[in-house]
Amino acid sequence: MKSLFTEVEFHQIRKASENTLGDAFMVNKDSSEQRLIAVLADGLGSGVKANILANMTARMAMKFAETDTDFTHYAKVIMDALPVCQVRRIAYATFTVVDCRPDGSVQIVEQGNPPFILLRGGQQVKVPACEYDSARNDYRKLRVYRFHIQPEDRIVFFSDGVTESGMGTAGYPLGWRITGCADYVANRVQAEPQISARNLARLVTRTALQKEPDRKAYDDISCGVIYFRTPRRTLLASGPPFADNRDADFAERIRSFDGTRIVSGGTTADIVARELGRDIHTDLFRFKRSSLPPISTMEGIDLITEGILTLTETLRQLEGSSARASENAATLLRDRLLDSDVIHLLIGTRINHAHQDPNLPVELEIRRSLMRRIATALEDRYFKEVNLEFI
Amino acid sequence: MKKINVSICTGTTCYLMGGAHLLTFDEVLDPVTAEHVEISGAHCLGLCGSEAHGKAPFVKVDDHIIADATLMKVLDKVRDLMPEED
Repeated sequence: MKSLFTEVEFHQIRKASENTLGDAFMVNKDSSEQRLIAVLADGLGSGVKANILANMTARMAMKFAETDTDFTHYAKVIMDALPVCQVRRIAYATFTVVDCRPDGSVQIVEQGNPPFILLRGGQQVKVPACEYDSARNDYRKLRVYRFHIQPEDRIVFFSDGVTESGMGTAGYPLGWRITGCADYVANRVQAEPQISARNLARLVTRTALQKEPDRKAYDDISCGVIYFRTPRRTLLASGPPFADNRDADFAERIRSFDGTRIVSGGTTADIVARELGRDIHTDLFRFKRSSLPPISTMEGIDLITEGILTLTETLRQLEGSSARASENAATLLRDRLLDSDVIHLLIGTRINHAHQDPNLPVELEIRRSLMRRIATALEDRYFKEVNLEFI
Repeated sequence: MKKINVSICTGTTCYLMGGAHLLTFDEVLDPVTAEHVEISGAHCLGLCGSEAHGKAPFVKVDDHIIADATLMKVLDKVRDLMPEED
């Protein structure tokens, strides 16, 4: 387990007639203990009421699961604490709790949500469940699964908005159903064995939405994916080394890196090109309508962008403070970073004097602090493992 | 026919100081001039670092460096270098 990276991502589409989600998704990843807890709760109804119920349930489940005692007991407590709706005679909230331990064991507890899917080698694997009845003697049941993960396993879990999508239409009279969804994810993973958790979760929700009449979600559609994979490594090099005599060393570090190689910065790219004796080609017209400088290409480097402006925009997108832009240099860089697990930031600290000119129309950040903020965003918001190195 | 190479710097300083606008150079060319011109991007011409070259943004038209470049200045230089019509 220690050598595996757990990528956990989710994607949600809210019911078309509502302004807020009725499903809640919470993740707690403790990097020092290698423990991961993910909770998906689906509140009764939709909109604000469902949102409150779902968040309450998810928070309760998360707090209970974080303790080291057996969660099954607490799951029963939650199930019994949540009332059954007087009118509809159904539970106020349903939930799925996935608890991945450092020794590679996984415990999944479900109440009311559709059963999760375990994908191993592109095939669905059935995991036996223990069932517990509600103490109140109603219809509710608790399902508990225990198993050990293997490399490249994926756990896919979702709210009933996914399995019931398209319900009542000619093509899907009973909805997409769990079997339809399981076949879909198995096919997707066979077609693209490296597909990230992020893309798979998004594909599942989008495909569910396509099944709905008029492509309007009839219920909240949520999907979470946990992907246990061998770590994908990325090197992001930016800035010329402080001392000129380290240029060759710097370029060699980039050349010999095992993984995705990204260079951000005009001068930096020139140093790499000069030291490695390769040509740079700048693609002037690809993102002509973008507000960022274009990208370039060089043999052996996966992405070359301009430096400070692109990195600033990438940071804003990572922090979610920038509106969703059409594809440009910063979105390409962001996507590369989000598709990685272990990110090494190699930061040259030489100052470009031209950037300190007070006549520049915008204030340029110092690269060092900008890269630190990118590292923090990647660690805190996206649970990446990030190393910083100054040269 | 050898084309005139127009290389527009897209480094941070040049881009901020007006280089972004220079990327529309292909749109201001008349069809005759366009025939003679090849536009390319330069990742960073490395000229903004020393004051000897003048102010950003920089454009290179063949071997001539244009400092504080505008679309008009670049176009004038290209027309200077164009062969006389027969």
